[in-house]
Amino acid sequence: MKKIWFKGVSILIASTLVLGMLAGCTTKENAENGGKEGTSTDKTVKLKVLHNWNGSSGTDVDMTPIAEVIKEKTGVTVEWEYTTGSEVEKVNAIFATQDLPDIYTGPAWGGELDGMIKAAKEDQLVDISDKLDKYPNLAKSIAKENVPPALYEKAIDAYGGKKYLLLQNQPATDKDGTDWLYGFYVRKDIAEQIGVDPQSIVTKEDFYNFLKKIKDANLQANGQPVIPFGGFSNGWAVGIGNTMFYGGAGYMDKGDGTLENSFFTKEYDDYTLYYRKLIAEGLLDNESFTQTDPIAKEKVSQGRVAVLAAHFPAIYDASKEYVKSHPGSDYIPIGPLERGGVDPSRPVDLGIQGNNVTAITKACKDVDAALRLLDFLASDEGFLLVRYGVQGTHWDMVDGKPTPKQEWFDKFAADTSSTLTVRKSVGINIGFESMTGRDRLNSVGAGDFWLDKERVQAMESARKILRPNGVNIVTGYNPGDVIMKSEQWEMLKPSMDKMGDVWKEAIFAKSDDAALKLMNDFRNQMKKTGYDEAMKYTNDQLKGKDVVTIQMPN
Amino acid sequence: MMAPNLRKRIWQHKIFYLFMLPGIVWFFIFSYVPLFGIQVAFRDYTFSGGFTGSPWAGLKYFQQFFDYYKSAEIIRNTIIISFMKLAVGFLMPIILAILLNEVRSLKFKKTVQTLSYLPHFVSWIVVVTLMQRLLTPYGGPVNDLLGVFGVQPIQFLYNTSWFYQVILGSDIWKNIGWNSIIYMAAIAGVDQQLYEAAKIDGANRFRQIWHVTLPGVRNIAIILFILSIGSLMSAGYEQLLLLNGPATAGIGSVLDVHVITSGISEGRLSYAAAVGLFQSIIGLILILTVNRIARKVSDVSLF
Repeated sequence: MKKIWFKGVSILIASTLVLGMLAGCTTKENAENGGKEGTSTDKTVKLKVLHNWNGSSGTDVDMTPIAEVIKEKTGVTVEWEYTTGSEVEKVNAIFATQDLPDIYTGPAWGGELDGMIKAAKEDQLVDISDKLDKYPNLAKSIAKENVPPALYEKAIDAYGGKKYLLLQNQPATDKDGTDWLYGFYVRKDIAEQIGVDPQSIVTKEDFYNFLKKIKDANLQANGQPVIPFGGFSNGWAVGIGNTMFYGGAGYMDKGDGTLENSFFTKEYDDYTLYYRKLIAEGLLDNESFTQTDPIAKEKVSQGRVAVLAAHFPAIYDASKEYVKSHPGSDYIPIGPLERGGVDPSRPVDLGIQGNNVTAITKACKDVDAALRLLDFLASDEGFLLVRYGVQGTHWDMVDGKPTPKQEWFDKFAADTSSTLTVRKSVGINIGFESMTGRDRLNSVGAGDFWLDKERVQAMESARKILRPNGVNIVTGYNPGDVIMKSEQWEMLKPSMDKMGDVWKEAIFAKSDDAALKLMNDFRNQMKKTGYDEAMKYTNDQLKGKDVVTIQMPN
Repeated sequence: MMAPNLRKRIWQHKIFYLFMLPGIVWFFIFSYVPLFGIQVAFRDYTFSGGFTGSPWAGLKYFQQFFDYYKSAEIIRNTIIISFMKLAVGFLMPIILAILLNEVRSLKFKKTVQTLSYLPHFVSWIVVVTLMQRLLTPYGGPVNDLLGVFGVQPIQFLYNTSWFYQVILGSDIWKNIGWNSIIYMAAIAGVDQQLYEAAKIDGANRFRQIWHVTLPGVRNIAIILFILSIGSLMSAGYEQLLLLNGPATAGIGSVLDVHVITSGISEGRLSYAAAVGLFQSIIGLILILTVNRIARKVSDVSLF
């Protein structure tokens, strides 16, 4: 008995020692990571930045050349945290657990933006309104004229004169702004094999018949049947065919000048039933809504997907490997496809309203240092540094235009890794670009000159096909930004959040009737939670204003 | 005040209490301290107010849950899946333990035991990824094998026709070995003289199992059954989150996942707490009821 007692006590003491040691290590680590190394003005401050973009990543290099320059200019070094998983969940989790970074930057839409607005209203962020006069670049990025109107009222100037959020990457001029070239793309060799010119596919019926032809051809790749139509992880972005049925925006004009959520329209039913047919007939990969990113990319890299719906860069990168070993198998755009209720000669309407909101959290250990960092990044100098690298090392100013150094162009071009390791080791694409103020890539910079020529060429070819009438940047009010100010929003939001899930469930329904029943049940739920009243409020608020009812994905 | 003889008895068995200490600490930290957070279900949780400073909301979030048009469906799905898991998953470990007890080759027995425990240590995310790879109709080995026999590819995952089979099968595969340990221990504790007496009375091996082994594990089985009933409103969060998709949402949406998506994905922490509390209260009622029934019927109960 004595022996057991001795053993028990020994175990307890040993456990205490081990736990103590671990606790000691943790404390030390915190001190190293979180502590500032001096005052905010003359010594380096380390700030933790949460880059809330799923799948974003950094570099193994401790201090990249870009980070060195930033440190020199602002006295700030950045410790990055990247999100792996849902961005909305991350926003909710950091505020609920109070595990806050010094600076947050993440998507300027959806639940992520809603979460940040909630955080601002609940005093979780630093009010920067009285400091903006000292930081002109930040002031400019959220000036009323530089932010889409509804977004300005909803997220920037929505706190009784206080300001918490910074908007990033909204185009500074018409020349700026990224068109990601969303669309349906088909493997060139497959289109040739079944004898259909991708540009002859215009209507939804054409598109359906095209997929059917692919399926009936019983093509094989890598010993497996070719999937007629697929996408990337969790259904991205197979649903973009909605624009063949209606304007593509979340809200439609009912014809009498009032608005209705697109979900409530007949066109939305048609769109749902069309996709149900694609699933039921085995034309759309029924794993596309549940598959992970590696599985989706594996299908593409093995040449097993004929038609992909996504934006150009994603498709180009995912298929690079297969195209290299199978020349002539590159993905080319289909269409341009018809747009529901839209004149075909109309330029493509794109909502380029900035993609990041950035905020300093209440946990920030040095607000002035954070503002210094953000203001520098939003300056022209910071913008060029982050996009191109260090002037004189990676690029030069030639005749007033930034020009890449051949040596670095070659190095970047030779890097075929999917994560662009070499670029990241310089400090490009590791997150700073999400905090550089308005997008001035073409007006101040010289475009994305690090892209390899083949890619640029392919992108330009796709652009010619998909944008025959050019693009029109949407500037009107987005009803989605207005409805959330209605009294009913608190009750309505949980229903609205489930719209996408209900659509997915409906397209897998056993019959058209079952699909419509699912949709109608959900519509009733929305009405029960105040949809009609909220819509009335939205209509009243937007009377006589320029409202977005036509918008292509971007 | 503790009775002096109780204190004395505790001191007498101090070594056992010492071994219990980490378990008690664990339960205190992870099961009792969080009870403090239950109040969130009755408050309008705000980031600034936290658990104690947020305004009271009464039963608003319970009302919201019962008003939600899918709440009945979610509760129904949870009960169906849990009940199936209980009905099949409860018996399987007992059967495995009995079968292993009958194996005479020690090497074979140990190998089977180890292999059956292993899945317990593999996370659901790994299990589901493996299942996705094995069961996909696009070149998965299972469908390839079936193809050899002329069977058309089958969509096993995210398909209503195969949903329950997949859920039950994967649950049994993952937990059968681990859950059988306690029964193995109970069987090991059965007095060998009882088997010898049964043999003398002419009982064959099935009779020995029926009359000696099964009564030997009866008490522990009842206790575990009572505990399992408490989880009837909880169908398994990770497994259902990963194995339920849009196609199976009508039969696969369960309370556990609803709580997580409402709380974490939609940021409705008070609502999620209310639904979670509802789950727990029903679980408690079920445990109390089954415990009482068990005590009346078999004299075996938890308390």
